Amino acid sequence: MKKMAFQATGITLHQESRLLEIGFNDGQTFSFPYEYLRVYSPSADVTGHLPGEEVLQVGKQDVRIKDVAPAGSYALQITFDDGHDSGIYTWEYLHGLGSRQSELWQDYLERMAAANASRETKR
Amino acid sequence: MSVNETDVQSALKNLIDPNTKKDFVSGKSVKNIKVSGSDVSLDILLGYPAKSVWAEIQSLVENHLKTALPGVTSVKANVSSKVVPHAVQRGVKLVDGVKNIIAVASGKGGVGKSTTAVNLALALAAEGARVGIMDADIYGPSQPTMLGISGQPDSPDGTMMNPMTNHGLQVMSIGFLIDGDTPMIWRGPMATQALDQLLRKTKWDNLDYLVVDLPPGTGDIQLSLAQTVPVTGSIIVTTPQDIALMDARKGLKMFEKVDVKIIGIVENMSTHICSNCGHEEHIFGAGGGEKMCADYSVEFLGGLPLDIRIREQSDSGTPTVVAEPDSNLTKVYQQIARRVAVKIADMAQDHSAVFPKIVVQNT
Repeated sequence: MKKMAFQATGITLHQESRLLEIGFNDGQTFSFPYEYLRVYSPSADVTGHLPGEEVLQVGKQDVRIKDVAPAGSYALQITFDDGHDSGIYTWEYLHGLGSRQSELWQDYLERMAAANASRETKR
Repeated sequence: MSVNETDVQSALKNLIDPNTKKDFVSGKSVKNIKVSGSDVSLDILLGYPAKSVWAEIQSLVENHLKTALPGVTSVKANVSSKVVPHAVQRGVKLVDGVKNIIAVASGKGGVGKSTTAVNLALALAAEGARVGIMDADIYGPSQPTMLGISGQPDSPDGTMMNPMTNHGLQVMSIGFLIDGDTPMIWRGPMATQALDQLLRKTKWDNLDYLVVDLPPGTGDIQLSLAQTVPVTGSIIVTTPQDIALMDARKGLKMFEKVDVKIIGIVENMSTHICSNCGHEEHIFGAGGGEKMCADYSVEFLGGLPLDIRIREQSDSGTPTVVAEPDSNLTKVYQQIARRVAVKIADMAQDHSAVFPKIVVQNT
């Protein structure tokens, strides 16, 4: 048998606190701030096509989610209010973002500091 | 001794459906039991199309009840089939008029995907199901030839196309929309858009199964299909030779990655039967398909010989299942179709893979 595949069991968007809550079939539930999801979008616009081509996402502090749609049965496609919608977040990817949240967020803050960039959203 | 409904129910718990390998009660097939004196009547509603075995199941059930319940003198079992739609999350744009989508794929080209797809579709239709076939091979459509259909589809309202029909199948292919020898010189995005239009702009009429004949490989078309529509399950076609199995494994892995269930594997060209002397030979090697199934714990749906009739009949627009409905070859296709249908009926009862509901709250 292949290893158990992660599968979401519940998806809730908290539009006021800007948190996307996802429960998984292993019993864990993660709460993702919209900004965190946006700056770690798996889209090639963010990750680049090759290692080293990553594009640091700045000024996403107030980003909102306009729509969440299923991509087949294995992923979510999230549309943000800054127009970004090309990220396909697989369950596996989301589970990884959830279990490594503090580490990855810290990493993002350090990269931001190093680039002297601001999280503040300019409207 | 008088008999009541509960007795009938519990008697049927001990009777195994030879197709699903489950008893009729846990398979939720038993309906509408009526007992009056020593007469029993009931409905058996199968979740898979099985016209050819209705009579067999009827006598199986009737004889079983007569033996198991002394005091019952007459039993009337009405057997019929009703295909359950693939359960998906609310809000997913299902394809209108389609209950289940079966993707037929392979890693390697030339292994007989289209031939298998069309014969599978015809075998399901012969069992009484409403079946359509969509040719997703944008660059090399074969279904128009294999089903002997030419001409262009009608579009009464100017936006939706009516599918073409022949041999009882509803058919759509890019081959109907272009000239036979015009190549589609397109990059990926054009091809995937064409796929989406064939799927959604066709007015499928109340289909139990839509069989999608995919192009070979693990590229744009396959990925788009997995991302945009809720595919019920996929079938991988391969030949026993290592070079084809290698790519079949990749096809299987791709479906696993995008969470499309694997219904099973069909091994094509398992053996060659000499049309002169009848000698049967494993010219592409033996047991490759079975081994792959064991490696990935998926079902081996069946194996077909490399038989000149399959090729000739497909090329001439009357595939084997309609050309020779009583032949051994057709029996293999029917068996594959039965296994596929039973597997799909099982999957419909498994709700663990259903996409969760997306809730939006102002909190």
